[in-house]
Amino acid sequence: MLNLAELPPGTKKAVDVNGVAVLVCNSNDRLYAVSNICSHAHEKLECGRMSRGWIGCPVHGARFDLATGRAMNPPAKDPIATYPVRVVEDWIEVAAG
Amino acid sequence: MAVEAKELKGTQKGTQKGAAKGEARCPGAPTTQEIIAADKVAAPKWVRSESYKFLGDEEISTDRYIEPSFAKEELDKLWTRTWQFACREENIAQIGDYQVYDLGPYSFIITRVGPKDIRAYYNACLHRGTKLRASGSEGCASEFQCSFHGWSWNIDGTNKNVVCDWDFPHVDRKKLSLPEAKVEVLGGFVFINMDPAAPPLAEYLGPQFKAHFDAWKLEDRYVYLHVSKRLPCNWKLAIEAFLEAYHVIRTHPQVAVSNADANSQYDVYGEHVNRFISTLGVLSPHLYGKHTEQDILDQFTLGDSGALGGSSKPTVSEGGSARQVMAEMFRGMFEKATNTDLSAVSDSELLDCFSYTIFPNFFVFPGISLPMIYRFRPDPRDHRKCLYEVLFMRPVPLDGKRPEPVEPIHLRDDQSFKEAAGMDPGFGAILDQDTDNLFLQQEGLEASAKHGLTLGNYQEVRVRHFEKAVEKYLAMDAKRPDIERLPSR
Repeated sequence: MLNLAELPPGTKKAVDVNGVAVLVCNSNDRLYAVSNICSHAHEKLECGRMSRGWIGCPVHGARFDLATGRAMNPPAKDPIATYPVRVVEDWIEVAAG
Repeated sequence: MAVEAKELKGTQKGTQKGAAKGEARCPGAPTTQEIIAADKVAAPKWVRSESYKFLGDEEISTDRYIEPSFAKEELDKLWTRTWQFACREENIAQIGDYQVYDLGPYSFIITRVGPKDIRAYYNACLHRGTKLRASGSEGCASEFQCSFHGWSWNIDGTNKNVVCDWDFPHVDRKKLSLPEAKVEVLGGFVFINMDPAAPPLAEYLGPQFKAHFDAWKLEDRYVYLHVSKRLPCNWKLAIEAFLEAYHVIRTHPQVAVSNADANSQYDVYGEHVNRFISTLGVLSPHLYGKHTEQDILDQFTLGDSGALGGSSKPTVSEGGSARQVMAEMFRGMFEKATNTDLSAVSDSELLDCFSYTIFPNFFVFPGISLPMIYRFRPDPRDHRKCLYEVLFMRPVPLDGKRPEPVEPIHLRDDQSFKEAAGMDPGFGAILDQDTDNLFLQQEGLEASAKHGLTLGNYQEVRVRHFEKAVEKYLAMDAKRPDIERLPSR
């Protein structure tokens, strides 16, 4: 999917996994894979701010916990999908789709 | 053999009956200045000064804590005119970063527009009023778009889009910029003021205190722990519980062993700032003859104990003092644990509790062992509750790498402060003791047949100073923010 070197701490990358828009994130000293689509108004999350284990939607400001997908503040209520992520010989693998 | 705690006999004036009002001091105890003057590493000028003033001895009316109408007046008169700490600058480090700051019903988007340009927009769409960002949220915005109909604003506050603008020929989009509150940054703290006619922050604080604040270089510190909790009392009662060390001996008996409480120093600066200095590593005058220097060292409570790595306290040698041992040990261990240089920091700055308030609701403790920021805000739905936050700060490491801002921990009303991950358990216990008093005080004031508080002339002067400022603003006319009266950019 992605080489680990392409995703230094504090960065994120949008990828397509079997037709699913996934955002792979390196935050809080660990990797996460979540849906790249905000559950509120279906905007892309990839340009939002990521900090301390959350990603914020740049359009209306909803935030999601990267570990659980939980919506942390309005205007979103529904969570976003999260996907298993692992590293195999410096390659980041995501199970989605 | 245990070393009897030192009882430094002071040269106090005015301990006799008949001294002028406010002149009396704790009998038989050294002054704060005398304790600090005996330290090995000498304290700077801002520590070695006094600024007490007798402000009267009449009762403080209690309606201000219990009447909903008083809280409403505060929202219309006081909060709309005073400088308030909204967020730390590092929380909005990049252009477009924002944090929402609320005070009662008021809400602001604090955002960075340029390296030196921070704005505070009224957080409401100019179409039909929807909040542009939810309270309690933060992030980075490419625009501020309303989630209702999609009107949007650029981060510089100018209007970006009116959906179906053909239907709004009566709206001049050039005049549709988001209204703003005044913003100033001091020591890394972003302050805002809703009153366009408010004095500049430096004038509001006064030159004497401003010199203290500048000396601390708080822009070179970072927040390593942020905890919030709702307290069961009016916001002013909560503030007043932290304005004096008079309560230490009964509320926090475990601390008094290592705190010169009754001989703490109280100062006032102009209308908006006051402070106390409460020396630590020194026995309370209430306990003279009852404890050893080793007891004092063993009981020493730190706000930032993480730097000590859980190590046990050393032994005080014959003729030594707990204060000196603590200063030397804390300096070395703290520097090592946090990669900082404290060689120029005095013993007093390392150890003592320096509590300053900036009216109406901001506390700063610029010391190293107790390095807190407090903020108190009224609960917008209940004048008998308030929101309390404590932020702990550390110097930025020598390598200059500022750690990422921390995620605030929000405790439930029924939780102990000790449950907040990272909170020193001893410090958490102190805050729990204070909270328990406040619940009883709020209810007691409502039950009481006495409608005024009685205050000590010296030890409770900060309470009086604070309430005098409340009274000053409450005597003014209501001044609610009005876009028609706000200057346009």
